[in-house]
Amino acid sequence: MATIINIKEEKALETKKFEFTYAGAPEPSLKNISMPIAKNKVTALIGPSGCGKTTLLRSFNRMHDLYPGNNYGGEILFEGRNILTEKEDMIKLRTQIGMIFQKPTAFPMSIFNNVAYGLRLKGIKNKTELADRVEKALKDAAIWKETKARLKDDANGMSGGQQQRLCIARAIAVEPEVLLFDEPTSALDPISTQGIERLIIELKEKVSILIVTHNMQQAARVSDYTGFMYLGDLIELGKTEELFVTPAEKLTEEYITGKFG
Amino acid sequence: MNKFLDRFFHLSTLSIALLTLLITGAIFGVLFEEAKPAIDAFGFEFITNSKWAPNLEKFGALPAIVGSIMSTSLAMGLAVPVAIGVAIFLSEIAPEKLKNPVGISIELLAAIPSVIYGMWGLFYFVPIIRDAFGGLGIGLLTAGIVLAVMILPFMAAVTRDAMNTTPDILKESAYALGGTKWDVVKDIVITYAKAGIIGAAILALGRAVGETMAVTFVMGNVHKIPSLITDPTTSIPVALANEFAEADEDLYFSSLFYLAMILFMMSFAVITFAKFAFLKRGRSAK
Amino acid sequence: MSYTEKRILINKLVMVLSTLSALIGMGFLLWILSILVINGIDAINWNIFIYEGAPPGYEESGLKHALIGQALLIGVSTLIGVPLGILAGTYLSEYGGLKSKLANIIRDISDIMMSAPSIVIGSFVYAVIVAPMGNFSGWAGIAALSIIMVPIILRTTDDMLQLVPSTLREAAFALGAPKYKVILQVVLRGAKTGILTGVLLGVARVSGETAPLLFTSFNDNFLNTDLSEPIASLTVTMFNYATSPYEDWQKLGWAAAFILSMFILTLNILGRVILAPKRNKK
Repeated sequence: MATIINIKEEKALETKKFEFTYAGAPEPSLKNISMPIAKNKVTALIGPSGCGKTTLLRSFNRMHDLYPGNNYGGEILFEGRNILTEKEDMIKLRTQIGMIFQKPTAFPMSIFNNVAYGLRLKGIKNKTELADRVEKALKDAAIWKETKARLKDDANGMSGGQQQRLCIARAIAVEPEVLLFDEPTSALDPISTQGIERLIIELKEKVSILIVTHNMQQAARVSDYTGFMYLGDLIELGKTEELFVTPAEKLTEEYITGKFG
Repeated sequence: MNKFLDRFFHLSTLSIALLTLLITGAIFGVLFEEAKPAIDAFGFEFITNSKWAPNLEKFGALPAIVGSIMSTSLAMGLAVPVAIGVAIFLSEIAPEKLKNPVGISIELLAAIPSVIYGMWGLFYFVPIIRDAFGGLGIGLLTAGIVLAVMILPFMAAVTRDAMNTTPDILKESAYALGGTKWDVVKDIVITYAKAGIIGAAILALGRAVGETMAVTFVMGNVHKIPSLITDPTTSIPVALANEFAEADEDLYFSSLFYLAMILFMMSFAVITFAKFAFLKRGRSAK
Repeated sequence: MSYTEKRILINKLVMVLSTLSALIGMGFLLWILSILVINGIDAINWNIFIYEGAPPGYEESGLKHALIGQALLIGVSTLIGVPLGILAGTYLSEYGGLKSKLANIIRDISDIMMSAPSIVIGSFVYAVIVAPMGNFSGWAGIAALSIIMVPIILRTTDDMLQLVPSTLREAAFALGAPKYKVILQVVLRGAKTGILTGVLLGVARVSGETAPLLFTSFNDNFLNTDLSEPIASLTVTMFNYATSPYEDWQKLGWAAAFILSMFILTLNILGRVILAPKRNKK
């Protein structure tokens, strides 16, 4: 029923017959999802709200484990292992698979300490090494120019767009393999949005990216692959230019032409 | 007619509102006026003199002031860490099913009158201290612990409320960087709620300084700076509660009012500091 | 041991410590609650409601005098403190607003007075009422309790009225109503559950006050309903009986503690229940 293309690239992540059930829910929210995610590419997840795209995204770094009673089924393969097992080291996993949230989440501390936060958690204490890596991360997130003179300032004094870049810098500072973006521009103005989108495209040289977006144009602009989800199913996964022009599934076509959603 | 009633209503609510200011001012004024004879007689030496001998008409407040400060510090030293522990437990660790019932019982315990904490202290806690340390069981240590237990529910509840204001998404961000629960609590939750937590502690301090009934039973009201932590001593509220109805000489009365004035100013200062330094309501932001 | 392993260990340690402190705190509080309930239930019987105070050793001794005295003190303080508090709070919200300097000073002073040591208020009332009149009296106690109650009611009224949407006011003004009618008929009515909760919590708070009564309403071991005379209260009775060396008086003290706590807890729970459905809607 679903149309999932075979991707040529190496896979950064892959779900196999993945299921997810929220605590206390009678039915799984995600059913039988088998989805490859290409390495060093941007994969977008689109679909009407409530379709499960954010739920799927939050499964890759096991964010659901923060709340008791949630249940995974099937497999998520990462670096050749299934990360859904009991023995999975969540702390390490989360440094390998980073996440950017719907709203900027600058911590209540200085700009420098925000970016250094993950590095310090990794045990890096050497001051010059910290300073170097913070600088590199801020440069990679294209926000070094605005911040270099005020690294000691409170991060909450920055604009929303700057804060979101800071969060990206914070996430890439620990050099993850994968970055998960959960509607990263939904709280931003159009100009900041443009900047973040450009950044996402640049970042894929270093990391594999999975982005959830409610905005189809955004998916079309930034992604190499797009997955369309509906009612907890992955309906179609294809190359972005093909999925938007010649969708294989009728549901996908109806959604992208605006018949529902 | 409506115009008249409008003005009337406006002015009457205004004058009642002003009444609150008037009473606060009157408290200061009356306490000062009543304390005047003692102020004239002892001046600032009242604060540094440690002899309190009503029969000799000699009054020094140092033991009561030191007792107040020591019992309050002891109570804060014991209650603050436990209250923060309870708050962390309630906001971050406890299973969902426990959070509400335990939280509500703590809030309800904060409403239990302090005189009951005092009765508990007298009948159940004093014997334990007596058995453990000898002596009467009444004194600074007992008072400090009873005070700590009394302010614990209030502080824990306010601290938890402050911690609960931390947005989930901020906590998730720290988890997403590989933080443990403790990393998230200390770096995100406590940092975010810092002002509220400190404010809660200072409000609890204000309560402890002025608390009378929880400690009157168990402190001993001895005007002597204790040499041992288990020695009986006194505090300003304890001295007031014990001696006010008994005072016979004018100077004795006046000295008690002097004590009351010092207490009022201490608590006024503590609470004002808490309010302006840490508990900004964000009124102007609204 | 790697740094991460160390962090995980510290995390476990802190979680245990924090749970432990919660257990210790809850343990103490449960201890107090259980002795209150055990001693209270043990001491309560019909005699308590039928008889007044008596010298130690008498079978026919009770708390009737203190129960009635307490009801009088709290009842009259409520009658004085609640209207004053509501009217003053109304001024702050409806005439002062959030930007008025005067209103903000009154708010700050009320916050400070809410935490002021209640024994100081007792000594103030002693100086202005008891000393000039020459004797302790119920009125003095009522004055002290009212002074404590007003700021509590004032602040909740102020907060609750500010929650009333301004469109409601505008709608009433648009119908040509004068301001006092808008306030009395629309704004106060819109905030009535919130204000009622504030009143219940304020009454609960004042009911447990002992220190300000010690040298204002003083005490009386027998029934008295004349407010110009000293009058018994549960709290002062509790204090006197508990510090007495007589076991039967101590027992009565526990009975008083239990009855008073149940009353205060009931008010608190009632306040929550009234406010609960409103909170859920938001």
